[in-house]
Amino acid sequence: MTETTRPYFTTEIFAEIGVDRYTAAASALGTVYVAWHVSGVCGVRLASDERAFEAWYAERFGRRVVPAIEDDPIASAARAKLRGEEVDVPLDLHDCSLFEQRVLQAAAGIMRGNARPYDWVAREVGAPGATRAVGNALGRNPVPLLIPCHRVTRKDGAVGGYVFGGDAKRKLLEAEGLDFGAIERVTRLGFRFVGSDDEGTFCLPTCGDVACRVDRPGFRGLRSAAEALAHGLRPCTSCRPIAA
Amino acid sequence: MAALTCAPAPPDQDALLAGALAQDVDRAFERVVIAYRGRIVSFVARMLGDDARAEDVAQDVFVRAYRALRSYPAERRAALRLRSWLYAIAHNLTRNAFRDAPPATDPLDYDDASPRPALLDERPGPETLVLRAETWASLGRAIARLSPALRPAFVMRYVDDLSYDEIAATLEQPVGTVKAAAHRGLLAVRAYVEKNDD
Repeated sequence: MTETTRPYFTTEIFAEIGVDRYTAAASALGTVYVAWHVSGVCGVRLASDERAFEAWYAERFGRRVVPAIEDDPIASAARAKLRGEEVDVPLDLHDCSLFEQRVLQAAAGIMRGNARPYDWVAREVGAPGATRAVGNALGRNPVPLLIPCHRVTRKDGAVGGYVFGGDAKRKLLEAEGLDFGAIERVTRLGFRFVGSDDEGTFCLPTCGDVACRVDRPGFRGLRSAAEALAHGLRPCTSCRPIAA
Repeated sequence: MAALTCAPAPPDQDALLAGALAQDVDRAFERVVIAYRGRIVSFVARMLGDDARAEDVAQDVFVRAYRALRSYPAERRAALRLRSWLYAIAHNLTRNAFRDAPPATDPLDYDDASPRPALLDERPGPETLVLRAETWASLGRAIARLSPALRPAFVMRYVDDLSYDEIAATLEQPVGTVKAAAHRGLLAVRAYVEKNDD
């Protein structure tokens, strides 16, 4: 007999009966559990013990989750993204407040190989100064790795907190191409920005690999935005180092 | 339309599924869906004569099955004859759907005045429909036009390969009634296919 049922046939049944499913998937941090239902992925945690994951899920979402047998397109997309492919994964952030969702969306926009400070995210979501609230919102990220909350770091060059621990955060960022040794050196020297005379712009030290270039000809460490502007440099449009 | 004959499910599959359901309905339920979705979608499509709605109705079959399973004690789940139980749910749902939207044409039934074409192979072994590939579409139309009294028994017996005991349990009718309905359905379908096959 041919199996020609539509791809979400089983997922829609599980939505109707109010049970979610999860699967184990490989990621940069090792195996994780990914839980999803019809509107998207709703939970990601490091895989350890199935019962502990199911208990966390029930506690956080108030829904039962059971091990899945088959992937549907949502699970396949999550698996591909966790392998490092650039694919869109439907996410369900329904248990996050609107503020938390805005913070997570801002974090989702930080590209691989970059990091941004907590107060940068606060500014991006229109709540300058709400740095602590941003940290709390990122700490409640239900789908770490799929929303790269690890790319939000401290202004002083330290990686800051992470749901899977600071060491995992640093490991992830370095695997993505950020040189945290260089970032720490730049910030220890008192530089808040790195300027490029050729580009005519200045950046946060966590914008791509600028921290590695600070000693090279044509680049300069900058202690303040005023100093950057005095050199005739414009703020980088990618990392938006100062408020518009 | 799906294949006319299905490989019968392994005999112990239902027992394994029933055992798993007895332990934990939620954890076992996806196995039930995977094991039966093809058969149930196909059965529903035949019963409704409507492929487009078949998956929606089949999903409803599984949702109702789940809710029933949750309400049963573990001993009842363990003793479940899963296949005929699921077909019974599917039959009830399609009967309702059929009532809501009866077919436009006169239902097909067997009339003894019809010629007896040689589609039925009654030589050794169980009765089977012997059909050429080009008769598939015609067969689908014949089933779609089959009278509601004959269609469930015919489809379960000759399309889904259920035993008469299973069909009787599903339809809550005596085995003799079910056999007669399946046979009359077969004769009617055969006559229709033969007449429209040239």
